[in-house]
Amino acid sequence: MGYLIASNLEQALASMRDSKGKARVVAGATDLYLQKLPDKLIDITAIPETTKIEQIDGNLTIGSTVTHTAAAGSPLVRSKATALAEACSLIGSPQLRNIGTVGGNVINAAPAADAAVALVALGANAALINTAGEYREEKVEDLYKDYNLSLIDTSSEIMLRLIIETCVGGEGSAFVRFASRKALSLPLVNAAARVRIVEGRLKDILLVVAPVRPAPTRLLHTEEMLRGMSASEETWRSAETAAAAEVDVRNSLLRCSVQYRRHLVGVLAGRALKKAAERAVGREEGDYR
Amino acid sequence: MKNQLINFHLNGEPVEVYADPADNLLQLLREQLGLFGTKAGCGKGECGACTVILDNQAVNSCLVPAGKVQGRRIETIEILSRGNKIHPIQEAFVEKGAIQCGFCTPGMIMSAYALLKENPQPTSEEIKVAISGNLCRCSGYIQIEEAILCAAEKIKDRIKDSGDKR
Repeated sequence: MGYLIASNLEQALASMRDSKGKARVVAGATDLYLQKLPDKLIDITAIPETTKIEQIDGNLTIGSTVTHTAAAGSPLVRSKATALAEACSLIGSPQLRNIGTVGGNVINAAPAADAAVALVALGANAALINTAGEYREEKVEDLYKDYNLSLIDTSSEIMLRLIIETCVGGEGSAFVRFASRKALSLPLVNAAARVRIVEGRLKDILLVVAPVRPAPTRLLHTEEMLRGMSASEETWRSAETAAAAEVDVRNSLLRCSVQYRRHLVGVLAGRALKKAAERAVGREEGDYR
Repeated sequence: MKNQLINFHLNGEPVEVYADPADNLLQLLREQLGLFGTKAGCGKGECGACTVILDNQAVNSCLVPAGKVQGRRIETIEILSRGNKIHPIQEAFVEKGAIQCGFCTPGMIMSAYALLKENPQPTSEEIKVAISGNLCRCSGYIQIEEAILCAAEKIKDRIKDSGDKR
């Protein structure tokens, strides 16, 4: 059979084993026709393990085949992983968001995929299972081999879900992007941040921008510089300067010049941090909304 | 890929086709099922001319593998009219002059149809988002937005009228 809609995980894995590397996993399939078609497709969107959004203890888990529309509209994602809800609401167009999936956004490995950028800023891990039944969890940013090339082998491995430590009291996250149009437009640059504020000062910071390298890129120096600084306009201005200086970007005919991109990295990093910090302050400690 | 049997609901009727599951739904609709209302534009999800409804949500039929529609419900522009009787959204598009060359119209109307089913009284901003995946190269967006607002009113009035009769 050429196209199998697997109804459960075991059926999908067994079918992959039988196909000996000639089948590929597919979810939303929005990028399928941009690539060479495989002999067989195994659709995992009906496998229950990949479809749920759940709060389990201190983690928010998002099934890999949850659509961007579902993630953007989910009260759980909106309150506990706000950056991801924002990113998903801005991807492509309604038609693409209705069928494209959060897991696919990572596996397709586009360097500035909006959901993937938000996931890295949220510190998300991906849960994977292979045809030998081995389960593993990897940081999302460690799943990239090269531009548009994932380390996940979709002929032998299935992404089950994404796992995010939920934002709690004193924490907030945000995603921002800049593109030439409001819809159906590649971001020239996008950025996302997650911060924890304790007594008015930045404590934990994750700051991510793209496209800089094949994977969404954390700005470790800027994060380090910001630690302990007050959540103020002055801090966001210095974050802009530090972020712009930290990235090694290049001219791109597809996106923009190196100078413009460096400028955008700074501005968007500052905006993402500011927005995340405002949300962190708005959320009282111990507030698990 | 080798052809396989695909069963789904199309415009309310069960259909069974023998088709290449790797073909896209747009090809299936136009070339195998003879439904030419859905337009083939860019073929890569950028123009929205091929918009159809899959289980109540607008999708680009050019990006949906035929194999994926097994067991699902598909609605196309053809569901909106019966003989000479057209849907309030179609009436509104005619009245508001929201059709210029007409090529984007079926896709626009299906995006509007999906929106109004979920949100019967949308704001202008919600309409803009709902049709943001549909390109109109005649750039008649303002009339299209007005038509969708007008269609929402028409539908509301009709529901009220039919309620009064009861």
